[in-house]
Amino acid sequence: MAFYLKVLEITCLFTILVLGAYLMTGLTGLFSLGQGGFVSIGAYTAAIAYVHLHLPFPIALLLAIIMGSIVGFLIGIPTLRLHRDYFLLVTFGFGEMVRAALLHLAQLTGGALGIAGIPQLVGLPMILASIVLITFLISNLKRSRFGRNCIAIRDDELAASLMGINVYGHKMKVFVLSSAITSYGGALYAFLIMFIEPNLFNWLESAKLIIITFVGGVNSITGAIVTSVIYYSFGEFFRFVDVWRDVLLALAVLFVTIFRSGGIFGSWEFSLMKLLLKKGKG
Amino acid sequence: MEVLRAADISKNFGGVSAVSEFTMNQKENEITGIIGPNGAGKTTVFNLITGVYPVDSGKILFYDTEITRLPSHRITGLGITRTFQNIRLFRNLNVLDNLRAAYGVKTRYTLWEEMVRFPTVRREERETEDLAKGYLAYFGLEKYSQSFPYNLPYGLQRRLELARALMAKPRLLLLDEPGAGLNPKEIRQLINTLLKIQEEKKLSIIIVEHHMELVMNICKMIHVLNFGKKIAEGNPEEIQKNTMVLQAYLGDQV
Repeated sequence: MAFYLKVLEITCLFTILVLGAYLMTGLTGLFSLGQGGFVSIGAYTAAIAYVHLHLPFPIALLLAIIMGSIVGFLIGIPTLRLHRDYFLLVTFGFGEMVRAALLHLAQLTGGALGIAGIPQLVGLPMILASIVLITFLISNLKRSRFGRNCIAIRDDELAASLMGINVYGHKMKVFVLSSAITSYGGALYAFLIMFIEPNLFNWLESAKLIIITFVGGVNSITGAIVTSVIYYSFGEFFRFVDVWRDVLLALAVLFVTIFRSGGIFGSWEFSLMKLLLKKGKG
Repeated sequence: MEVLRAADISKNFGGVSAVSEFTMNQKENEITGIIGPNGAGKTTVFNLITGVYPVDSGKILFYDTEITRLPSHRITGLGITRTFQNIRLFRNLNVLDNLRAAYGVKTRYTLWEEMVRFPTVRREERETEDLAKGYLAYFGLEKYSQSFPYNLPYGLQRRLELARALMAKPRLLLLDEPGAGLNPKEIRQLINTLLKIQEEKKLSIIIVEHHMELVMNICKMIHVLNFGKKIAEGNPEEIQKNTMVLQAYLGDQV
């Protein structure tokens, strides 16, 4: 039972990170391999604030979000003017830079030893509540001006700017918001796993966030969440197939991209309202 | 009253002079045409006005505001919108959302209000939707509101682009070859629509076009470009008689 609970907790935690990536890569089409950098920034900020500075837990979480947003803003200034592949490379470099910095700032971060002795203050209820809240916020954004601007920018930046959308400014909002969510996820990670080290989230993990978003469907938050839950829990439950696990996943990704390029869910969204209305009619 | 004044604007791409010392004054509530052979720099003029490229030299005024160095989205916000020679609709937004996206510049709610879907957001979203639905009905596109734009027939895509350009309530509308790829019947429809819109909305319109029927029928003033330079300007009759223009289009008489 404890095993299943743990798998569920970690799955849900990673789903928060997927939501952060969804906003950026799914909705706006900014491919970032630097999400891991923000996970680490959030985790370390919260852990240091709590363990070293003895700040209360909620303040530590808040600091992680603020720190993530500030770093996101600073990184965004030069990178958001870059085009797709260049943006990808620079964010990749950023993620690796954070990892190296955490290794070498040993007095603050504990270097390769990481930070141990973080109490477990985060459980499934809190993670689930966070997912609900973040999903609520993102889906509100998606169905109004913000979301339309994101998709317009993803489709055609020039046309978007000629329709009055401040492309750079909007990308900045997306980047900061995504960084804040991801850093928050990182902070939760620290207080769930109770131990963090510089390699906790490398660029391959960042790439997985993008892959999940694409397999689920770039136009569907539902798709991102469902695919994320399946992906991360699948890995744990199918440990017996051993190395074939990755092959199976790769095949799944391949089939989806070839036969359903809009992702499994396309642009379909789960809606409680619609479901209730249908039931009411039937 | 002059809506737009472009004074001696020039643009070079590498060694090629795309537009050189082009000057035009656009009067309020008038339709003006810019014509010229392929590669004459017509679309570049639009790109300079809308801030897609910065001008190398010269000055552009919209009413009394200088817009020469402004970014595109600010220029649109001031009231200049446009369509594109090659249709550029947002392929992942449905027809209704394509229109709504163009109205974002007029909505006032903040990001924070949007996140929690504040009443102001609901109200402005409803306004946006009503306006968009009005335009869909106006252009006979209601039944396509949930379709994706590139599933529509070509003629309807053109109409949708025109509707999208009108969403932001422009005072000056720039149309880049609105008649391209349309059949004669559709061209006549377009002429009627443009005249009607211009009349109803008190709009000023500049049209870049190859299609002579369209230009000669609705434009009060015509500017003719060749190799980036203006070779003639005047009303349709004057342009039709101008020997320079005939030469540019048909070549020298043997």
